[in-house]
Amino acid sequence: MKLTIEDKLSLLAGSAKYDVSCSSSGSENNYKTGELGCTHNSGICHSFTSDGRCVSLLKVLLTNVCIYDCAYCINRVSNDTPRTAFTPRELAELTINFYKRNYIEGLFLSSGIIKNEDHTMSLLLQTLRILRHEYRFNGYIHVKLIPGASKELIEEATLLAHRVSSNIELPSSKSLALLAPDKTKEKLLSPLKHARDITMERSSKPISMSTQMIIGATSESDFEILKLSSSLYQKALLKRVYYSAYIAVNNHKHLPVPELSKPPLLREHRLYQADWLLRFYGFSYDEILSENQNLDIQFDPKTFWALSNLHLFPIDVNRAPQEILVRIPGIGIRGALKILQARRFKQLSFEDLVKLKISLKKARYFIIAGKDFHRSTSLYEEKIKLALIHQGSNIIQPTLFDTSIYTGEL
Amino acid sequence: MILLYDGSFEGFLSLVYEVYYEKLQVSTIVKKMPGSLLFERFHEVFTDEAKARKVLEGITKQFTKEQQRTIFNIFLCDTREHEMALLEYLRIGFKNPKELRNINNAHLFYIQNLEKELLCLVHKMYGFTRFEELDDGTLYAKIETKFNIVPFLGDHFAKRLGKIPFIIHDVKRSLAFVKNDELREIRSIASFDAPTYSSDEEKFKALWKSFFKAAAVESRYNPKLQQNWVPLLYRTYMSEFHA
Repeated sequence: MKLTIEDKLSLLAGSAKYDVSCSSSGSENNYKTGELGCTHNSGICHSFTSDGRCVSLLKVLLTNVCIYDCAYCINRVSNDTPRTAFTPRELAELTINFYKRNYIEGLFLSSGIIKNEDHTMSLLLQTLRILRHEYRFNGYIHVKLIPGASKELIEEATLLAHRVSSNIELPSSKSLALLAPDKTKEKLLSPLKHARDITMERSSKPISMSTQMIIGATSESDFEILKLSSSLYQKALLKRVYYSAYIAVNNHKHLPVPELSKPPLLREHRLYQADWLLRFYGFSYDEILSENQNLDIQFDPKTFWALSNLHLFPIDVNRAPQEILVRIPGIGIRGALKILQARRFKQLSFEDLVKLKISLKKARYFIIAGKDFHRSTSLYEEKIKLALIHQGSNIIQPTLFDTSIYTGEL
Repeated sequence: MILLYDGSFEGFLSLVYEVYYEKLQVSTIVKKMPGSLLFERFHEVFTDEAKARKVLEGITKQFTKEQQRTIFNIFLCDTREHEMALLEYLRIGFKNPKELRNINNAHLFYIQNLEKELLCLVHKMYGFTRFEELDDGTLYAKIETKFNIVPFLGDHFAKRLGKIPFIIHDVKRSLAFVKNDELREIRSIASFDAPTYSSDEEKFKALWKSFFKAAAVESRYNPKLQQNWVPLLYRTYMSEFHA
């Protein structure tokens, strides 16, 4: 039976949805008069699905045929699911028509491994060539590098796409061996290394890359996960790590039992918060967590850090520099900027902070503002903890998926 | 004193002129004659090009580029109480430009937040605007928005759509940004005939809906979060939210 384009789209979007990367932010605006499409530095969300995740890209697989047998993956070869594939041309036309109607910001193209790695990578590149050369499309394109594809193909991908990536999937070699026998850490990292080196030869800036790790399928601690992310950021291999709460789609002896496991959404949320601290707030992973520790569920990572470092508080908001202000629980980059702007004109009090709409729910236990100091709770860890819990403001629902649209941050 | 003006930018500039040169004490600025006038004095400002021009020259001299942009942006927030705050902004700027950065001042903080709200709406509509293809290849989008953001959307899509002609129609304000080979302008639309759509339009709408449905992860179902991001207000012309 021949599948219609609508059936194909449903199947291949359905198989790509577990890839959480959605952001198209961080690419320079690349407007060319008279040509179709341009990118937007802060990224633009075009819709939100019923799970509350942002849709900004046509996120699909070229094919869900796969010769690999990764335990956690819906498309593994041993699964009995309907298989299909787009032709590169079908996919390019779909992208253009969706783009014109402003449904999407661009294309996110991944694929199962069909026949072999190089063959698959060539099909992906074929799609990109049609888009870039025939349609002169300048919109955003993110393409998955196929681990094991040859260096020439990876080089071409870096020329055609805004972002390339390769999923690390599991945070350690041991877990990979257990669940993804066809993949090794070296094989997964090598396309990222190639892409970095090739693009750094061309210009001083490496191409922006992202990856994804599945959280909760295996036994790694949050400490190990953040340590890995942090080293990937430092080696310029990645601009962004996505964390994906493990969702059971298969039965497998090495995986958590599906009936018992709900996706660990709060843990995922805490990891995103901690990752934010790494990338924008100047924290290092070993400040956030100690060896083999997991992130606290009750308190967000910054509050948890502050409670464990009370000797650094209270902080005087009228004196502290920006990099210290952002370490106050409840005060983010924007809050810090407002404080800096306002205190040039006067000495700020608690009341002034409230007028500036800076949330004091958490912050008030950690700051001095002029003569104001929160005296009702003295600065002892247990008392502040109790006060914070009593407010009921400390449990944050896992709502943050990608807030980059508002902050313009990558 | 209550001031009445016609709601146009030139009208507002003329108002500023009169406030300055006739030293008016303003309590409220309205666009429509109030139903009953109690004890307050009332004055109608007529739009006057010469007066408006004079004030505009003053603004260009006295305010930085960024502050001028703020003034125009705030004026686009037409469904919100913005005239008094803007008048105060101008008064401060003419008197002591440095003070304009003092966000401890309630008027200035209000202006800063209002502008942020406008830009936030603009950003959302960059994503939530939906075009439909007409039979002659023109792309046509209808919008209904809290503030007048047609100028922003027009510029944004002019960059994206290359040579494709398009129309962005603000249904409530009866305005449209029209762009094709010959022209690129905002015009008022008194009446508009229902357009004929291209034969592909329904097909791509259906494809988009099936993509949208397939992209959701069932075990993370969270319609409340979805509604935080896309409030019902925005969904009127977004086909993926229609049955």
